[in-house]
Amino acid sequence: MQKTTILGLEFNELSIKPFLFDKVILFAYALILLAFYGIYEIINVRYFSGAVNAHMLALEPTNEVFKESLRTAVFGTVGEVHREIPWTLFIANYMYMIYTGSGIIFLVALAELFGIHLVAKTAASFMVAGIAMVFAGLFTIATDLNLLNMIWMFLDPNYNTGMWLMLPLYSIYIPFVLFEIYLILTNKREWAKKLALPILLLSIGVDLIEYYIQAKLFSMNTARHLWTEFPALMLYFIISAFVSSLGVMGILTFLVHRTKKEYEKLMGLIKVSMLLFISLLGTYEIFAYLVVDKNAAFIILFGPFKAAYFIGYIFLSLTVPFLLIVKTTKPIYTLFASISVVIGGYVGRYLFVYGGNANPLSNRFGIGFEQYDIYEVVKTYNYVAPHLGEIFIVVGSLGVAILIYKVFDILFSINELREH
Amino acid sequence: MEQVKNYAMALDYQNCINCKACEVACKEENGVQLGADKQRIWVGMVEGSIFGKPFVNLYPSQCNHCLNAPCVSVCPTNASHVVDGGIVKVDSDKCILCKGCMEACPYDARFIDDITVAVDKCTFCDHRIDDYGTTACQATCPTKVRMFGDLNDAEGDLVKLLKTKKFFFQKEKEGTLPKLFYILPDNENYARQSVSTDTLIHTWDEIAPLYGIINEKRG
Repeated sequence: MQKTTILGLEFNELSIKPFLFDKVILFAYALILLAFYGIYEIINVRYFSGAVNAHMLALEPTNEVFKESLRTAVFGTVGEVHREIPWTLFIANYMYMIYTGSGIIFLVALAELFGIHLVAKTAASFMVAGIAMVFAGLFTIATDLNLLNMIWMFLDPNYNTGMWLMLPLYSIYIPFVLFEIYLILTNKREWAKKLALPILLLSIGVDLIEYYIQAKLFSMNTARHLWTEFPALMLYFIISAFVSSLGVMGILTFLVHRTKKEYEKLMGLIKVSMLLFISLLGTYEIFAYLVVDKNAAFIILFGPFKAAYFIGYIFLSLTVPFLLIVKTTKPIYTLFASISVVIGGYVGRYLFVYGGNANPLSNRFGIGFEQYDIYEVVKTYNYVAPHLGEIFIVVGSLGVAILIYKVFDILFSINELREH
Repeated sequence: MEQVKNYAMALDYQNCINCKACEVACKEENGVQLGADKQRIWVGMVEGSIFGKPFVNLYPSQCNHCLNAPCVSVCPTNASHVVDGGIVKVDSDKCILCKGCMEACPYDARFIDDITVAVDKCTFCDHRIDDYGTTACQATCPTKVRMFGDLNDAEGDLVKLLKTKKFFFQKEKEGTLPKLFYILPDNENYARQSVSTDTLIHTWDEIAPLYGIINEKRG
């Protein structure tokens, strides 16, 4: 294949065709198309919901749209956000994508620090997968926020909030990771070699800061005791992210490296790491729920979320993968374990977000949950199912990750093993 | 020099008859979006029974305008902010809809207004304090549940009331220093069924220094 070198980077010389008709790319486009429908729906609900106040009704008492809005408000649910569940699937997906993606990048940095040559050879594909997931997470959160007012993040920043700190964090993190990928792909090897160690140490530092800020984002929410009382939240995020990250790395290794001679060794390495972090995560889950707020813990362990917790999370992200890989060495079992932890990890994030909101705050006087509305029964736990638009955006975010990875592969052949 | 104001509200909730006049007045006064859970203020209801005898407790509620407001601490754009009088407000033009403040508030006092597409909450009717001296909810209450006033005005009606009564706060353990003072009912039976055994009961002399000190820091 013809190559062009720009700034030390070798680009594959291609026509527009692979960007339009490649099977993987087409699949990604299809997913992104779903996301666009989801965004359309979100915008429609958020900005064009029929919403009225007393003044509007007084001025136009016969307006049919207003009447319908009032009917919906009284007898149905109005608007995009439910008061009792402000953070929903958007945040769960954001957490999963960002933490898992950053986890991959973090794991590659650690592997390089420990001199694991095999990971260094596959670093390009893993790092790109990681940053692609970070972009997928940011895509999700961008649809959740009101971008029209984002200028105030610059004009009137509140520097100490987890939410604001994400702005400088990703403004630095993403170019930094892209620079790391550039160094891996570039031909300027001598220059890259000199920079390798400082970049590696900086990378680990940035990864740690990232998880610190993410933990701050949740632990600042005084009212939600699952998040404020979860012990060493930053460490929990890192360990749980590593489990999911290894799952993604296992699936990616199967998809892109299975025909190479290093495949078995790589899967073996993933297996050992997965066993280590699954064991750590299991220990964490046991001790965390002993100390966390009992009301929040009971809803998850013994309440309406127990099936999701024990079957969806514990069974899939801990038990199944552990049993699959603890004694066998065949890569296929590592693949199954990887698929299992990827699904289980997602359920874990879902439970963390929804579980955090599940305990109603309406027991404000300590004698029982309040009835907010005369037409409503008293809620002993909060749950609002994600709506279709939200689900489509989440599915579309997967398309974003696949698209970014594939574009990198088309341009730079990242699936090839390379020394660096 | 004019003294810094520290607005608060006392709620004699045993007088509430759940007529919801306060909710209506609030929606009218502040142009709040109409809808079941779109409320700046509300009357919370808790049903229970003691030895088979059913009862209903009514708790008129709204934003506590906490001295240590977690919603303000988490807002990335300072859309949630504190104005004169220690009133916590939201600037809808700056709200990026991150909903962090809704997650941080222990009192469920915030909601999304779908007209402004921003978080909304009680403002203690700060636009009408100068003209009318009180909030729409207090002005309209037929049983005088609410008493709005300035904690720094020792001669004001609010402080005079608090000096004569015992009171408690919602979720005091959260450390938010809320400013809705719930007056302990005079009726002993009503007090027993409407206040948790864990709830701390306060008097003005005991609480005043704490609220005064915090207020000085903010001022």
